[in-house]
Parts: sequence; structure tokens; C-alpha cells
Amino acid sequence: MFRKFYFLYGALVLSTAAFGQYRGWSLDTVNQLKNVPKSVRDNPGSYRSVYAGYHHYTGGK
Amino acid sequence: MSTGAPPLPPKPQAKGLNCPKCGAAITLRSFGQAVTVVCGGCHSILDAKDPNLAILQQFEAITSVAKPLIPLGTRGKLRGTDYEVTGFQRRSAQVDGVTYYWQEYVLFNPYKGIRYLSEYNGHWNDISICKTLPTADFGGATYLGESYKHFQSTSANTDFVLGEFPWQVRVGEQAAVTDYVHPPRVLSSEKLDKEVTWSIGEYMYGREIWDSFKLPGDPPAPMGVYENEPSPVSLNVTGMWVAFAAFTVFLLVLMAVFDMRAKKVPVLEETYQYNRADAKSEPSFVSDEFALGGGISNVQVKTSAPVDNHWIYLNYALINQDTGQAWDFGREVSYYHGYDSDGSWSEGKRTDSVVIPSVPAGHYYLRIEPEVDPTLPATPYSVSVIRDVPVFGIYGFAFLALLVPVVIISFRAYTFERSRWSESDHPPMELSSISSSSGDDE
Repeated sequence: MFRKFYFLYGALVLSTAAFGQYRGWSLDTVNQLKNVPKSVRDNPGSYRSVYAGYHHYTGGK
Repeated sequence: MSTGAPPLPPKPQAKGLNCPKCGAAITLRSFGQAVTVVCGGCHSILDAKDPNLAILQQFEAITSVAKPLIPLGTRGKLRGTDYEVTGFQRRSAQVDGVTYYWQEYVLFNPYKGIRYLSEYNGHWNDISICKTLPTADFGGATYLGESYKHFQSTSANTDFVLGEFPWQVRVGEQAAVTDYVHPPRVLSSEKLDKEVTWSIGEYMYGREIWDSFKLPGDPPAPMGVYENEPSPVSLNVTGMWVAFAAFTVFLLVLMAVFDMRAKKVPVLEETYQYNRADAKSEPSFVSDEFALGGGISNVQVKTSAPVDNHWIYLNYALINQDTGQAWDFGREVSYYHGYDSDGSWSEGKRTDSVVIPSVPAGHYYLRIEPEVDPTLPATPYSVSVIRDVPVFGIYGFAFLALLVPVVIISFRAYTFERSRWSESDHPPMELSSISSSSGDDE
């Protein structure tokens, strides 16, 4: 019972990993947006990143 | 199997038998098989072979303490054969100053003979006398080609008896009992004087007994783990690890195949410089346009900067020129190092990489908005964009997903076996093999 389940589960995990690679999945987080105006190409300042103003690391140990 | 046995004949009644002590009627259910019979009225143990039912022993008993869960005379179909409960005894053993009690039931079928049921804390065993003599040594026993591990040796006392028995039963009788286990079976030797009786038992769940004898209510809930109770993790743990190893090999093959077929096409590679002198003007700019080919695939954006105890932060947006679809993300490149009382140290890296998932083919450009450590006057940095790269983290997750169930099941099997053997003469510290006895019987 458990063994059958594990075989099915393992096959599912491998299939998911293969499908993920095929479809170009990633573990990184990015913010997806739609309908960015074409004017950004000519006027980059008209777009503001959601990550702008991020507080940066300024130290070290 | 054993369902071919003819049905049980009408309930036999041995007429005219009365207890010579108290006069109570004595019912002999197991015909000539009974060697002793116990009067339910006065608790006299009578010689069933004697036409006058000679009194062999009389004992004091508090019947409410030792009330059989299956009343004498109850009939039922146990594993395909009709049986009638003809005898009951309560036994006890003292281990490390603690007294343990269990109950045994004598079952009778006129064609199949005698078999037994035992019950301890809600754990049941279907027991029959061994057909051949097992071989036993110090560590275990062998019966019908199957190996059993020694579990416990103790002295069992007979505390209370009721009904008929196919042997000369006596209250207060002590027998040396040794149990060997191979779940779900238990092999027991019982030595009384110079006579040794071997029996083989198989674990049964209370619900099976209740269904077999059509008993009202629910069976007592089992407490703890019994010596031959089959593990709920009913599989060979070693087999699971073998399956895990096989899946891991498949995963490595998958990794190699996808690494080989990944195109890893560089579509943009530029070096820029950020000057603080330009800070008053708009820092953001866009890259040259580049094409992403193929179907839906990922895009890797790599950033490198020769920072030294400084940082540079880049607000990126990968924008599809045709559809306006964008992926917005920020990346920091920072590298710090130094020397203190603990010695030299370093933090961060001069390179950074991010993989944007599932980006369709099309024409794209990058909008880049740099932010730089204010103490830095000018910072060069390189940006490269690569189409269709393998993501090894996915394999890492897959590996963990495959590993976790095996670890959980192994741990459950381990704790179950630990509980089982903690009640034995061989407590867990001496347990050499956990998995070997946990699932050989799947």
C-alpha cells in the first residue's frame, strides 16, 4: 500500500520536475506586470519599479 | 481454505452432570476433549474424565475481576471455521515487580479440535498448537522455515479458570513461558514440569474477534504496542530506501538530460557604469532590444560588479516590447570583507543571478535603474541575459520531496519497533536491526 503510494508519488515528483524544467520554472521570485506602456522604451523614468527605494545593506560584519 | 468443515452440530448437552460440590449443573461442550471442567458455581476444578466428576481443586475467585469478554458457550466463525468458546483462564506474569495480566479462551470445534484466543490490553492472538517441533537456540527459534526472534522469557501464573480445558488445569500453576516473535506471528513455548508445549499465534484485531463472535459493543481499544503486532507501516523500509535510491538515479538522469538540452543562449551582454556625477539626472535607462526564441522558457539575468566593501542595487524590469508584459525585480551586489579578533571575514558576492520563470518568446528589453552606495563615485557593472538555463534548485526540491516520506516512514517504523522491543528482554539499546522485523510480511 505505502510502497505503491510511494511509487506513484515518486513518479509524480519526477514528472513535475521534468515538466518544470521543460516549462522554464524558477525558484526566484519576480513581480509580473501587464500592460507596461510602450513609452517606457523612450522614457525609462516614466516607469517606477516596485523595488525602488529598497533599503540596502550598508555594513559588513 | 478451511471453510470446508461441516457446520457445527446442535449444541450438545451432557445431561445429568452436576457438580459434586455444589450440585450446579455442569455442561460439557467439548465432548471427550475436556480433561478438566470448572464449576461456574463454586469454582471447583473437576476431572472431566471421571464419570463422577472428582474434585481436583477448588479456588476462591472474584468473578467480576476476571469476567470473560467472550462468554462461555458463545459460537462464532473464526477464519472460516465454526468454534464455540468452552474455557477461559486468566493468567499473570511478574516482570520487574510489575504484574501483567492476560486472558486466554479455549475454542472447540468437533472436527477441527481445540484452538485458543489470547487477549492482552486489547491485543488478540489466534493460537494453535504447533504441528511440528520448532528448533530454538539462545537468540531465536525456527518453525516451518521461518525465523523468530527471542522476545521474552517469564513465569506465567494461572489465576482464574472457568469452563473446560483439554489439560489438567490448576489455579496457582506456574509455567515457564518463552515467546519468539516474527510479526504478525508469535511462537511460544510453555514448560510445565518436564513437559514443553509449543504454540503458534497470529495477531488479530479486536474488531475481527467481535465480528466473528457477533459480540455486542466495541472491543477494548488496544493499548501500546504488542509483541507480535504488525507494524502499521506495513512495508519493508529497506525496500522504500531502495525505491528512493532508484528515484534519485532517475532524477540525476533527468538533470543530465535537461542540462544537455538547455540552450543557454546569451542574448545580451553589456557593461555599464554608474557615475554619481550623473545622479541628479534620471538614472534609469533601457538596454538594446533582444529576441528570446523558442517556446515558453526561463531567462537568467546575471549581474556582476567589482564592489569592495560597497554595494550596488539594480531595479530591473524585463519588458516585452510587443505585449507590454513585464517582470520586475531588484538585485543587489555587495561584497564586504575585513579582519577582526576572530580572523578574516567576508560577506556577499560580487556576482548575482536571477532566473525569471516561464517567459514567452518575443522581443524584449531591460529597463535598469541603478542605485549605488553613496560613498562610491563611479561603479562599473556588467549585465548578461541568457535564455533557457537549467534550474538545479528544482531537482533539489524534488530530491527533498522524495526523501521526506521515506524518512517519515522510517522514523515511524523505528518508533513502533522501539515501543515493541521496550517490553522485551532485549530493550531498544540492544536492538541491532529495526527494519528487518518491521515489514517482512507485506
